[in-house]
Amino acid sequence: MQTPEFQGTHLFDRLCWAKENLDGVQSDYRVVYEDSVDECAKILVPDPNWMACALQGGILPPVQVYWELAKDEAEEGFTKHTRGYLLHNTEPVEAMTEEQALEYLIMKDCPQHVWRDYDSGNKPKMVICRKEQLPATREWRNAWKISEELATDETVAA
Amino acid sequence: MALGKIKADTLEHSTAGSLDTKFVVNGSAKAWVIGSAAAALGNSLNISSGTDDGTGTYHYDYTTALANSNFAGTVTSEVAGTIGSLDNGAHSKTTTNVFVAITNSSASAEDRSHSAKINGDLA
Repeated sequence: MQTPEFQGTHLFDRLCWAKENLDGVQSDYRVVYEDSVDECAKILVPDPNWMACALQGGILPPVQVYWELAKDEAEEGFTKHTRGYLLHNTEPVEAMTEEQALEYLIMKDCPQHVWRDYDSGNKPKMVICRKEQLPATREWRNAWKISEELATDETVAA
Repeated sequence: MALGKIKADTLEHSTAGSLDTKFVVNGSAKAWVIGSAAAALGNSLNISSGTDDGTGTYHYDYTTALANSNFAGTVTSEVAGTIGSLDNGAHSKTTTNVFVAITNSSASAEDRSHSAKINGDLA
């Protein structure tokens, strides 16, 4: 299905169009990251409707738009977004592969301090894996950490 | 854009009266989600991802941000005997995501499927 020309259309309206016209895409990928040494590993799951938008192209704004809004919100005395138009008026990004969509999602929804230097320490702070690589049960969930000895064919968080 | 559009400030019923469309626009949910005990998303609107933060704690990021963090949220656990709530004790409200906590009758965190609905102003 052809994406309508969406530049200038409110992003919420585009999402409503996508929900009505695109089938959701369940990703098998998960992003495991450690936000803080004092907390357990977090598991990010892509939304199927969002993934459909990413694969379709012409719907989502560039990820840099979200960074700009995050900067605004981090300002002292922030009460309300005044640059929401960036979401709606910036030229939408073209269709992505699932892998590109995951990179975009990481840069949008994971803390910047995690993904900007995810492999600078003794072990990675972030790993992309398949859901089958996560522990099979949620026992001791609050103790999950990224494995110190990573291997792509083994469970990554234990 | 090629989408059909009806512009109206008021909807009027033949006998039941009229309704200002701003009530429809402002009163409808701006984001909603059904999440599993592991934050996998069953259905949603305006959500880009779910994150399993630990036992019984989750957060969901919006695709289009809210204008401000002064939003109203409803969270329900989909399992009887457990309670869903906005996790505002541990996290400040933001315009970009919503934190959800599920607890059992002893107020201990518990993994359960849940749903959340957010009403607020869009950016």
